[in-house]
Amino acid sequence: MSLNVDRAGLAFTFKGGMLPMTVMELTSADPERIRDQLAGKLSQSPAFFQHTPVVLNVEKLDEPHLALERICAVCRAHKLLPVAVRGGPDPVKQSAWALGLGWFPPQEIKPRNLESVAADTQPAKEDTFAAARHEETPASNGGRIYRGTVRSGQQLTAPEGDLVVVGSVNAGAEVLAAGNIHVYGALRGRALAGIHGDHDASIFCRELHAELLSVAGNYKRLEDVDPRLLSQPVQVRLSDDQLSIASMS
Amino acid sequence: MAKIIVVTSGKGGVGKTTSAAAIATGLALRGNKTIVIDFDVGLRNLDLVMGCERRVVYDLVNVIQGEAGLNQAMIRDKRVDNLHILPASQTRDKEALTSEGIEQVLDELVKDFDYILCDSPAGIEQGAQLAMYYADAAVVVTNPEVSSVRDSDRILGLLASKTRRAERGQDPVKEHLLITRYNPTRVDDGDMLNLEDIREILAIDLIGLIPESEAVLRSSNQGIPVTHDQSSDAGQAYTDTVSRLLGEDVPLRFHEYQKKGLFSRMFGGGRR
Repeated sequence: MSLNVDRAGLAFTFKGGMLPMTVMELTSADPERIRDQLAGKLSQSPAFFQHTPVVLNVEKLDEPHLALERICAVCRAHKLLPVAVRGGPDPVKQSAWALGLGWFPPQEIKPRNLESVAADTQPAKEDTFAAARHEETPASNGGRIYRGTVRSGQQLTAPEGDLVVVGSVNAGAEVLAAGNIHVYGALRGRALAGIHGDHDASIFCRELHAELLSVAGNYKRLEDVDPRLLSQPVQVRLSDDQLSIASMS
Repeated sequence: MAKIIVVTSGKGGVGKTTSAAAIATGLALRGNKTIVIDFDVGLRNLDLVMGCERRVVYDLVNVIQGEAGLNQAMIRDKRVDNLHILPASQTRDKEALTSEGIEQVLDELVKDFDYILCDSPAGIEQGAQLAMYYADAAVVVTNPEVSSVRDSDRILGLLASKTRRAERGQDPVKEHLLITRYNPTRVDDGDMLNLEDIREILAIDLIGLIPESEAVLRSSNQGIPVTHDQSSDAGQAYTDTVSRLLGEDVPLRFHEYQKKGLFSRMFGGGRR
């Protein structure tokens, strides 16, 4: 056996690839409603419907059986080519296969807002480095205690539990925690609490100047913050999916 | 064993080279055998500020690439006995600096000198990181403006993580803040950040405060480090800075706006 197969003799090679794909997120299983709305879209932007491959995402539908064949037919009639189905129970998976479509497992549940924030703010990989010199103590709940200044360009994460910074978080720095974030100094950088979706997480700081505040993916930028709260000691938490900032002075 | 001090800032044009030249001169005037090395390959300036640009034959890159010996490249200062300059190359690529090469040069110099000052290029790229990598102490030059403070903050983060001391888990690089171009009048008017704000954000020891001064521009154009001009406020402020670097306790000067009295207004007062 030789691994050095003559490449010219190969009929194909398998390669991993990432292709941009349109995902059609279904919020209704009714083929008639889908047809009506597709017709509307088609007249608005005909250029989009050019045998465009789409993945039908059925995660938001809570139905054991879908009229998948009819939905696909509606799509094809509007020049969309369903190539796969994402999510849904086992019968949906079986009928997708029967129709010659692929099936993808459902998306991991992540707070979506956070994802987009993270994508914007993540510096190039070589540019980030863990905050280095400091005194560091592991906290009992799996969190971290950091003593020192978190400086511009540094990123400090507590992937489980709370993050306590005894010092300031400077502009251009980023602190993240699965749980709460406590800053016993000025918070001038970005603070993202509840990064795994904990809606009960809070952010506390002695002096608010934060570039960005986020709890479980709901965020506010500095310019969205009431100026009267700036320089104040505050707590930040979610109430009704809205970020609320309250002075503690 | 020499102490290696990097003069750095992140931001360009804040006075790194001026400060490196002035501090090196001050250290040498106090009897310390001192060398100042220009790490800014391709944009060398230190030789101009030190007034030795016509005496440059070989440079740091020649030494690293084995084309010249260290003694051939070092330039002895004409004004101060104990002071030497190792210029950067103006023509080479900045890639010519290698970590191993610099380590060899520094290992050699450490035996003979008391102080080695590394004049860092601006930015946070390879050149700046090489200039700081072997440092025992750092002078972070900052202007009283937001962008300079932010860049200094970034450099302080790198000093804490991307130096030999940090990588080996030794005592951290000693960080000193040097504020330059400080103009108390403009601080009072709110045009510039004040001293306390800068200290609060950067949270490191203040080693000196250099007032904005015509003497600085004059001296760098003449190629005479401003430390030699003891009639100027900037020259005195650098002398104070050097004293503090040597461990002396010197009170801070030039940070407060002084209203001129009738006499000094009439007769012009001291040189600024």
